[in-house]
Amino acid sequence: MNAPLTLAHYMTVAGLLFLIGIFGALTRRNIIGILMSIELMFNAANINLAAFDRFLHPDGVTGQALALFVMTVAAAEIVVGLALLLAIYRGTDTVYAEDFNLLKG
Amino acid sequence: MIEHAYLIPLIPLAASLIMLFGAKEDPHSPAPWIGIGAMAICLGLSLSILGAVMTGSVSVPYEHNWHWFSFAASIAGKPFLYDMPIGVLIDGPAALLLVVVTLVSLMVQIYSIAYMHEDTRYKRFFAFVSFFTAAMLGLVVSSNILVGFLSWELMGLSSYLLIGFWFEKDGPTEAQKKAFMTTKLGDSGLYLALLFIFAKVGSFQITQIQQFIHQGYMTPAVATVIAIGILFGAMGKSAQFPLFIWLPDAMEGPTPGSALIHAATMVAAGIFVVARLYFVFLAAPDAMLAAAWIGCATAFLAAAMALVSYDIKRVLAFSTVSQLGFMMCALGVGGYTAALFHLTTHAFFKALLFLGAGSVIHSVHTNDMRQMGGLSKKMPVTFLTMGAAILAIAGIPGTSGYFSKDMILANIYHANRPIFWIMLLTALMTAFYMSRLFILTFWGDDRDHEKYHHAHESPFLITGPLVLLAFLALVSGYMLNRNELVYRLLEKPTITATASTEAHGEEGGSAEHHEGHLPHGLHLALPLLVLGSIGLAFALYKGPKYAVADRLKTKFAPIFRVLDRRWYLDDAFDALVVLCDQVATLAYWIDTHIVDRVFVDGWGLLMRIVAEISNLLDALFVDRTVDGFGGLSLDLGVGLRGLVKDGQVQEYLMYVAIAFSLAATLILTR
Repeated sequence: MNAPLTLAHYMTVAGLLFLIGIFGALTRRNIIGILMSIELMFNAANINLAAFDRFLHPDGVTGQALALFVMTVAAAEIVVGLALLLAIYRGTDTVYAEDFNLLKG
Repeated sequence: MIEHAYLIPLIPLAASLIMLFGAKEDPHSPAPWIGIGAMAICLGLSLSILGAVMTGSVSVPYEHNWHWFSFAASIAGKPFLYDMPIGVLIDGPAALLLVVVTLVSLMVQIYSIAYMHEDTRYKRFFAFVSFFTAAMLGLVVSSNILVGFLSWELMGLSSYLLIGFWFEKDGPTEAQKKAFMTTKLGDSGLYLALLFIFAKVGSFQITQIQQFIHQGYMTPAVATVIAIGILFGAMGKSAQFPLFIWLPDAMEGPTPGSALIHAATMVAAGIFVVARLYFVFLAAPDAMLAAAWIGCATAFLAAAMALVSYDIKRVLAFSTVSQLGFMMCALGVGGYTAALFHLTTHAFFKALLFLGAGSVIHSVHTNDMRQMGGLSKKMPVTFLTMGAAILAIAGIPGTSGYFSKDMILANIYHANRPIFWIMLLTALMTAFYMSRLFILTFWGDDRDHEKYHHAHESPFLITGPLVLLAFLALVSGYMLNRNELVYRLLEKPTITATASTEAHGEEGGSAEHHEGHLPHGLHLALPLLVLGSIGLAFALYKGPKYAVADRLKTKFAPIFRVLDRRWYLDDAFDALVVLCDQVATLAYWIDTHIVDRVFVDGWGLLMRIVAEISNLLDALFVDRTVDGFGGLSLDLGVGLRGLVKDGQVQEYLMYVAIAFSLAATLILTR
């Protein structure tokens, strides 16, 4: 049980996390849930970034720094998303995704 | 003086333009004196040139050229620069003709002061005469046949203007059109000849063409074609058979204008051009023979017509045609000197005859000789001067016409016997019809008392020129013939032995002098025959009723009718025109009804049918296919869109995920 963690382990975790995120984004009716699932996918990608950096370029911290930037961008994005959601909710009194079809063409 | 020869055509040209545009029309206008002064200056210049040429103080041919224009062309791929100079070329004939033309024109203009003074277009007449003379002088002095052709055409224009001078009447307008079109027909031949010359020689310079032939570069075939073209031009201008039809009608113009046309300018031009380019003819014996026969036919046919005409000017016109026939015939048999000699003497006595006839017409106001008669008592000066001219043209020994006509006949005698006999007969006919004119007009008693009563001698301005011309008509032949001057002055051009069949140059001048004399018997018999012919005229036309002639006329009515109808040549030309018109109408009908209908319209219809079929195929197959593909794409798009529920974000996301995973799978498993 003391075998060392390899890149494959990290990628498996990240893949599972991404699938969970996809599943959540596709199935949740509540938009807040969808946003949370998207955050999960972000984090899966971040894990991958950090892991690749750690295993392929052990000398530097570029990938990990990039992961920090992605987190910042994700935070900013989620703020925008929540602001949009708030605006929609004020107009339509609902937070369910199936009711939002204003952009259908 | 000869270096100012270029002024000779330019001065009358300037004078005519000044008179035409600068002067006002007025019966007492002094404008004509501009033309007369200009012509007098030209006459002085010409006389000094002739004097210099005769005494030999200038060497002829004198040529001086100025740059006119040049143009580049590529011949067989090589660049070549054509130079076209403009200049004067004075040789013996040109010098002599300059004097003749300016002198006759001067006489005509002085005469016209009196003759035309009642006309409403007084100064215009003088402007035309000056212009006409300028054109002729341009032709005479030019060293370049392109300029010569230009003058030639300007002369055609001038004759048109002069013949139709009284354009209010129908006759002159018809006559001017006839003259213009007939001469134009001849001009087309000359034009083709010029094109041919330029194509062969590459130059319009007379001396260069002569050089070209001298070196034997021109084959007889080419020379014949060119010579026939030139001859055709001369046939139109110098009124040779069958193009002489315009000249009798040209009598519709004012009489001094006729005198100018007949003596100095228009008709002399054709003979002069043939003489100027005589070396071409020398290289083309066939064309020479054609010229001889055309001249012979012209002389005979015209003289026959003159026998029966009662219009005094018509008789003179036919006589001009006949005399021109003599000249052309002489040129045709190689009598270069004789032809130009006769051209000179003929100019004097024919101008005199026309001016005298004008004086008569001016006095009795009719052209019909049957209404004249006995005018010798009323118009003694006209009578005597006309008498001198008649003697000259009939060929009484001592007069100018005797020498020149004798020389022509001698030349023909040595060259072509059949032509000689015809021409001898024609010469006797000439004596007869001129005597007839003289007798009917001046002799015997008056026939029309009223006209006779009003007749009077013309003023000095009319009789003065008559007297001077009569003097020249009598003595010019002797003066020119003395010491063989005419042979030196009008020396026949030669072409070198390589191009010529006759070795003319080797035998020198004596051979030609021999050609200039008839055998002794004929030489003595000729004047007697002429006198006999004159006597016959007296016998037939004596008395007021000329009963003998009338009896002959009824006896030989068919012949008289043929001659009166001018050998039916006018009718032949009319018929030709009508035929051409009918052919053209037929061609038009064929064009509109057959060519247009069948070929043009039919082809159009066929094309339209093909186009309709093509259109149908297009609509049926091609368009359907294109539309089908369009419709298919549309249907496919609509169908695919129908699979997607409207506006559900998560559904879209699912498709994205599915597509993405499919793509990823495809890429990764490859």
